[in-house]
Order: sequence, then structure tokens, then C-alpha cells
Amino acid sequence: METSTIGAVRLPAAARRTTLRKLMRRKSSIAFLLTLPLITIIAALVLYPAFYSIHLATLNKSMEHFIGFGNFEFLFKRDTFWMVVRQSVVFAVSAVFFKALIGFCVAHFVHNIPAKGQRKWRGMLLVPWVIPPAMSTLAWLWLFDPSYSAFNWTLEHIGLARVSWLGDPNWARFAVILVNVWVGAPFFMIMYLAALKSVPEQLYEAAAIDGANWWQKLWYITLPMMRNVIAITALFSLIVTFANFDIVRILTSGGPVDQTHVFATWAFKVGIEGSDLPLGASISLFMFPILAIAAILILRDISRRGTEA
Amino acid sequence: MAARLGSIEGDRRKAMIWSYFFLVIFVVFFLTPPVYMLITSLKSNAEISAAVSPWWVMHPTLENYRELLTSSTYLTFFRNSAIVSVAVVLITMAVSIPAAFALSRMKFWGSATLATGVFLTYLIPETLLFIPLFKIFVFIDELTGIELVNHWWVLVILYPTLTVPFCTWLMIGYFSSIPRELDEAALIDGAGYLQILTKVFIPVALPGIIAATIFAFTVSWAQFLYPLAFITSADQLVLPVGIITTLVRGDVFTWGQIMTGALLGAAPPLIIYAFLMDYYIAGLTAGATKG
Amino acid sequence: MAATHFTRRRFLKTTAAASSVAVLGPYVRTAHAAGKLTVGFWDHWVPAANDALTAICNEWAAKEKVDLKIDYIPSQGQKNLLTIASEAQARAGHDILAMPNWWPADKAKQLEPVDDVMKALLAANGAVSPLIEYLGKSSGQWIAVPATPGSQIKGPCARIDLFKQHVGLDVTKMYPAGAPPDNTLAENWTWDTFLSAAEKCHKAGVPFGIGLGQTADSVDTMGALFHAYGAELVDAKGNITVNSDAVKQALDYMKKLVPLLPPDVFAWDDASNNKWLIAGKGALIMNPPSAWAVAKRDAPKVAEQLWTFPAPRGPKGRYNPFIPYFWGLWNFSKNKSAAKSLLLYISSRSAVEKMVAASQGYDIPSFANLHDFKTWAEEGPPKGTLYHYPPRPGQIVSMAAYPAPPKIGAQIYTQAIATKLVAKYTQGGQPMDKAIAWASSELEGFMRA
Repeated sequence: METSTIGAVRLPAAARRTTLRKLMRRKSSIAFLLTLPLITIIAALVLYPAFYSIHLATLNKSMEHFIGFGNFEFLFKRDTFWMVVRQSVVFAVSAVFFKALIGFCVAHFVHNIPAKGQRKWRGMLLVPWVIPPAMSTLAWLWLFDPSYSAFNWTLEHIGLARVSWLGDPNWARFAVILVNVWVGAPFFMIMYLAALKSVPEQLYEAAAIDGANWWQKLWYITLPMMRNVIAITALFSLIVTFANFDIVRILTSGGPVDQTHVFATWAFKVGIEGSDLPLGASISLFMFPILAIAAILILRDISRRGTEA
Repeated sequence: MAARLGSIEGDRRKAMIWSYFFLVIFVVFFLTPPVYMLITSLKSNAEISAAVSPWWVMHPTLENYRELLTSSTYLTFFRNSAIVSVAVVLITMAVSIPAAFALSRMKFWGSATLATGVFLTYLIPETLLFIPLFKIFVFIDELTGIELVNHWWVLVILYPTLTVPFCTWLMIGYFSSIPRELDEAALIDGAGYLQILTKVFIPVALPGIIAATIFAFTVSWAQFLYPLAFITSADQLVLPVGIITTLVRGDVFTWGQIMTGALLGAAPPLIIYAFLMDYYIAGLTAGATKG
Repeated sequence: MAATHFTRRRFLKTTAAASSVAVLGPYVRTAHAAGKLTVGFWDHWVPAANDALTAICNEWAAKEKVDLKIDYIPSQGQKNLLTIASEAQARAGHDILAMPNWWPADKAKQLEPVDDVMKALLAANGAVSPLIEYLGKSSGQWIAVPATPGSQIKGPCARIDLFKQHVGLDVTKMYPAGAPPDNTLAENWTWDTFLSAAEKCHKAGVPFGIGLGQTADSVDTMGALFHAYGAELVDAKGNITVNSDAVKQALDYMKKLVPLLPPDVFAWDDASNNKWLIAGKGALIMNPPSAWAVAKRDAPKVAEQLWTFPAPRGPKGRYNPFIPYFWGLWNFSKNKSAAKSLLLYISSRSAVEKMVAASQGYDIPSFANLHDFKTWAEEGPPKGTLYHYPPRPGQIVSMAAYPAPPKIGAQIYTQAIATKLVAKYTQGGQPMDKAIAWASSELEGFMRA
């Protein structure tokens, strides 16, 4: 009869069973206790405010009366609102697309150089992501400055015309997307690089022997093997980019003429600067359906990956 | 056959050369802003106004650094940022590690839902929450007299909402990848769950924990929206908001100082990154690809 | 007690000193000024100005034995507006807070009436303009005290040499230092001649730098222009009057002016026009003397050629964009008597004179008797460059969005409706009706309770 020791006390089998059962029951309670702080933080500071914001969105400007969907009706009738919706979607989708593309390409380049040198290059390439976005956006603001832009100085030096980076609506939108891509692409690169490394080398060699060129290797080996990572990072980034505040706020404050406003910055302007908290809450809430869709897609992907693994 | 193999080698060499070429281009793209920050920070106001050559410093000066490092306002920002970030890291670790351990190892009722739920909360952005949170804090202030607005400790309460979900998720992924044999061996040796956590798990999962710590620190240090919305007194502000709101006076921008301030403000995350780069990267990728 | 207070107050030197002392004395004597006080002042771009104000306040605090805490809150990034909004929401924060133009009226319900303070100040320092009364009073009561720091006029600041060379106008003759304006030249300084001057400078490669972004400089310039044409977005009764001939006239004028400005003016913030002028790129900007003061430090050759003078005249008069700041006392303050005592102290003539001097002439007090300080006559180089900066007879001070009801005016101002309207019509290329319809719908939005 095997005996197992629990706490260095040797017990007979029957006693062991009871103690084990007690341990099992204790396990649930221990587990619960261990996760209690987490649950408290999330419930109190994330879920409760989220529901409260729904309540807020149903109040009038001075927060004294209940007006149901009044704020939403009001928003639907405003041109600016629909412009912000369009801008937010375009901003998020194009930024994520370029981040993924650049991340993917650069990951390949790093992967192709000898392993010894990779660490150095990787280190340099991740810098944009490590610098706090608020600080680096200031640097970009200075680079785009109407009077002192270093880029314009260079352009003029090689004979081209100055660009109104932040004054022309289209260039301003470009600038905001550019800074967001600059900040985020390194993250994609790191993720993709790790995934690339996990693709077995033999697959490529076999394909090369079969006469595949680089494009075929990419399409038939790399992409399928990396499909999950690509999907998850893209969706993750879509959510984070969609809710972005810092870059637009510092670079353009939503200008010129509200043409670079995204949900977060417009909610801030209307809600806090415009002293209309309920309206600001309504605007913020609009992010939620889109985020929810992205979240469902991610969840589906995770569970799929879970079952595959 | 030999020829084919030879061309594979040739292909690889070509790929490598092209890779270096493009890598240089991308490195230039990625590093231009920080380098420009450095260049501008070494210029005096007169030289910036003259705008002779933005990309080069004619008369380098450390004046901006000296002014900022002796400015009590700036040092206050630095101090506040440091206190807040360290506090948040400690809180995050204290909450996330046990929770991740419980969720990855101890299958109890609701653990799967909770794990997914943790991940989902990361998707509720701060830009959605800051308005109701503001109102809630005001309400608490009216009820209990505890001032929650305009003090740096508000941030210590708020930042964990940003760091805990992701760190927990990161570490769930990491802990899950640690072979169960280790636990079982420890269990057989008579260890309780707590001992398993402290004596087996944490040492093995240290890289993941370090990565999560770095993440929590970096996120706290870089936070912009919450301090902007909740703090207005200069002596309570943290770096990102402080630089923008106090180094810019009225309608006069002193770009030399602003760039210096931004660079110094970006220094702690950069330094940590430089020393702990491998942990940082390992943690990120492990969490994502294994989770 | 009365004797000691009289001695403390003896620093007041003006002829009004006796009357002001008589008015101030009894008030302060009966006030129980002690305890704690926190104040949030506007963060002046001239650090010396902050220091001067701090010194004055500390003098007062030492005398009154008040534990005083001063915060300087910048207007950059709307930080001061955020503070006002959050303190109003939280019903907690500073006791006294500096509030720009529309904000005292917007927050009137939460401000403590200061009729007693204003009565004393009006008696001592002279009258204030109707604009200040409009902005500082709510339901017939004064709810804020006009502040000196931060109150500024954003009139033209031009390059003497470039104007002589390209426009053929000697601005130092038009508005000479130490003397009244030259009547013929000044009468001829209208928005039309402004336009032709802009054209000449544009051709010469040194265009005017008039910002059309959403920050205060741009809003104020458009405000003055609209008033010069009699264009109101919302009238005093709260009716939307954007679809009027006057507005259309102003828009047509801007359509002619915009091509003569640098193309990126639509993204300009408050600092852009300063940088434009200091870099020597332009012949004129609409700005308070901050640009000149920075040029003194960073580009002295440019600074020597700068001259500040009133805005052009329009069909309805010569309107100068004026941005008054106020000091508001929250009604949830726990030390109102100390606060009122401080407000009196820092609004006295000598205190104001010190602040104006420390700001190098940037600050413009709102009281009529306080426009004769030596600072403006003597600041230079070039000497007298600021002589015509403070409002002299014949000029009307304008505030963008006036005379709209304050809550609506505050929104019009913060959301920069006039400037956006101009942007949509000019840069955006929208037909006038569509642009005006857009503005109308935005204004309707502001009417919500």
C-alpha cells in the first residue's frame, strides 16, 4: 500500500482520501482567493464604469434629467459625428494594415541575417515602441512644424515644395497614421519574428529543392503557419489603435477643422472641454460595438488555436 | 543536385544582402525621431530660431539639460512618475501572479470564463472609461470626503486596470507552458500549492515575470490620458502630461527644452529596455504565441 | 485695528489712494482673513510675471497670516479649461481660479458673487468696458473680478521695414510712440487696405501670418473681423444669425484673404504665428507682444523692426480682439473672505503696475484708469513699440462670439465655429450655403441644455 506524505506526516489510505478531498475543496477557495484582487479591480474599475457610462449616456447635459436615447439621436444627426466615425475606421484599418505589412517585411529581413547580428538590429528596431508615445509624438510634432519642419527643410533643399503636414486635411490624416504606424510596427515585427522562427527550416529547404521561388514559399509555407499570429496581433492592434488618444491629441488635436478626430479625442473635446459629459460618454460608447466584434473574432481564434494545439 | 544546393546558398546570400539594405532604411525610419530629439536638445533657442540646419548642431550646448535637471517642477514630474510607476508595478505583480497561477494551474469552476473575461477587459479602452470614472470619483469625494481627483495616487488606483489584465494574460500563457511534471514532482514531495508557487513556479517563470514587470512599468510611465483628465496641479502631474503642459508657456514653445524633457522622460523605459531587452522580447512573444 | 490697517495700506500712491483706502480699509478691517487659501493663476509665458504675482500674493499672505498655495495653470492644451471643468464637476479644488473670457459666465451658478469687491475696485480704478460687464456679470451680479495677468489684445504686430518697403506705409508714423495716431493714415487703415497690404507682402514673399486653426489666436482674429463687419453668429437673444448678409460679407472677405496667406495656416496653433514672425518669414501677425518679447531674446534684428498697433477699421468700427481673464471665486470655497481680500489686494493700482512691468507690457488691465503705465511707453527696442498696444479712445474691444448668451458663446469660442466656417468655405471649397448650414447645425447643438 503506497503511502503519500502530506506535510511530512504519513497517513493511512482512508485518512489520505479525506485529506485529499479537503485539499480539493481548499483548492477552489484558494484559487478564488488568489483571483479575488483581480476580480475586484476589474469589477470596480472597469466593468462598473463601463456600465455607468451607459447610464451617463442617457442623461442630459447638466446630468439632471433622463433623456433616453436623446444623446444618440443628436449624434446621428450631426455631420461631424459621421465624419469622426469614418475617420476612426479608416485610421484604425489603414494603420493596422501598414503596421502588419511593415512588421512582416522587417521580420523577414531580420530573420534573413545571421543569428549573431539579429539581436543588435532587433534592439534598434524596437525603439519606437519602447519610447512613451506621448514623447515621441512631440518629436514628430516638431518634425512637422509649419515653420521649422526639418522635413520641409530637406524637401526644399532638394528642390521640392514644402508640405503642409498638419495643415492640409489629407496630409494631416497621413501624418497621424504615419506616427501610429511608426510606434506600432516594431511590435508586429517582434511578434512575427518569433513566429517565423518557429517555422521549421526543413519546410523551406524542401520547397527550395522542389523549385519554389520566394513568393511561393511565402504564400504556401510562411503565411499558413503564421496565420494565427497574424490574425491575433492584427485584431489586438485594431482594438488598441481604434481607441487611440495620445497621438491625435498631441499631433493635431483633431484638426484641421475636426478632420483628424477619432472617437477618443472627440469624446474628450465634447465631453470634458465642452462640459457635456453625457454626450462625451455617448461618443465613447460608439467604440464598443466595433470593439466587441473584434473581440468575438479574437476569441474564436483563440479557442480554435486552443483546440488545434 | 549540387548546383541546386549551390543556388540555395546563393539565394540566401542575395536575401541577406537585400535584407541588410532594407534594414538600414527601416532603422533610419525608426530612429530618426529619437535622434532628432537628441539633436534638438543640444541646441540653444537662438540656434533653433535661426533654423540654419535642423539636422546638425552647430554649437552644442548642455544648457537645456542643465535647466531641466535643476528645475524643481521637472524633477517633481520625474519623482511622481517614478513613484506611481513603481507602486503600480508592485500592485500589478501582487495581483497578477497569484491570479495567473490560479487560472493556469488550478482548474476551478468558472476559471475558463474568468481567463477569457480577463482578456476581454483589456479590450475596454481607457478612452471609454475615463468619463464615468471621473464622475464616480467625484461622487466618492462627495460621499466620503476622500479626494480622488487631482492627486497622484489616483493614478496608482487607475493604472492597474491597464496593466493587470494584460500581465495576467501574459503570465497565464507563460505558466501554462511550464510542464506540469514540475508541479507533480513538487506535490509528490509534499509541497502545498503556495509552496509550489513560490519555490517552483516563480523561479522558472522569472523571465515571464520580468517581462510583465517591464510591460507594467512602461505602460504606467507612458500613460497620458488619465493624468491629463484627472490631474491639474503641477506638483501632482507626471512626466508625459507635465512636459506638454508646463514646458509650453502661453504661445511660446521652447523646443530645445521640450525635446530635452521628452528625451529625459523617455530615458527610463529606454534604459530598462536596453538592459533587459531579451526578457522584454521573450515575454512579449511567449505570451502571445503560447497563450 | 483701524490704525494698523491704514498703515499697511499706505503703499497706494495714486490720487485715488485716499478714496480707495477709505473704501478698501473698512472692508478689510471687518473681514476675518486667515486660514488656508489655494489659488490657480494663469501660467504667464513670461516667468518673471509669475514671480511678480507670487511675490505680491506672498506679501498679502504674510500680512493676513493666510496659508497660501499658488498653482500656475497653463492655457496650453486647454489645461486651464480642463481644470475649470473638472473643478466645477468635482465641486472641489482651488478657491480662486483664473478663467478666460467666457468661462465665468458659463460657470456662473457655481461662482460666488463678488459685487462688494467690484464696487471697491470700480471706485478705485475706474470703469470697465461693456464687454467686461457682459462677461463678468450674471443676473446682474458680478461673479468674477477682471484679472490683469493674461488679459491681452491680439492686434497687429508688423515689421516696420517690410511695411515701408513693400506696402509703402510707415506704421511708426501711423501710430507714433508717445503721441496720438496720425488721423489720415489711421482712418485709411481699414480691412480693405489690410487686404491690399497683404497682397503686396504676399507677392514680395513675406506674407501675413494669420492663423486659421482652432486655438485662441485664430478664434480671436476672426472674432474681430466678424465684428468689424457686424457679423454675429448668435445674437444677444440666442437666435442663430449666422445666415446673414454681414456673415456672408465677412466670408467673402476671407475668401480674398486666404490665398494671400501661407497654405498651412489652417493647422496653426497659438505659437505658429509667433514662430512665423520671429523666423522673419512674414510681415504681420495678429498677436500680443509675446512674439516681440521672444524675438528680443532669440532674433534681435527682427525684434528691432516690430511695431504693435490697433487692428484695421471695418464698416462697423475698429474692433480690437481682446481676451480678458477673470478671477473667479468658487461658491464651494471654504475661505471666501480671505479670497476676496486677496482679490482686492492684487487688483490695486500698484500691484497691477508691477504685474504689467514684469510682463514687459503684455498684460492689459480692464479698468480705465490703469492704461497709463510707463511700461508701454518705454518698452523697446524699438522704443515705444508697445505704446499703441493698450486700448486708446476710438477703439472698441471685441470678443469673439459676443453678444451671444454666455453658455453658447463659450461653446462657439472653444469649438472655433467662426474659424471653422471660414476654413470650410475657403480651404474646404464648400459653397457658402453648405458651410453656413453646417455652422447653423453646430450652433443648434450648442443650444442643448
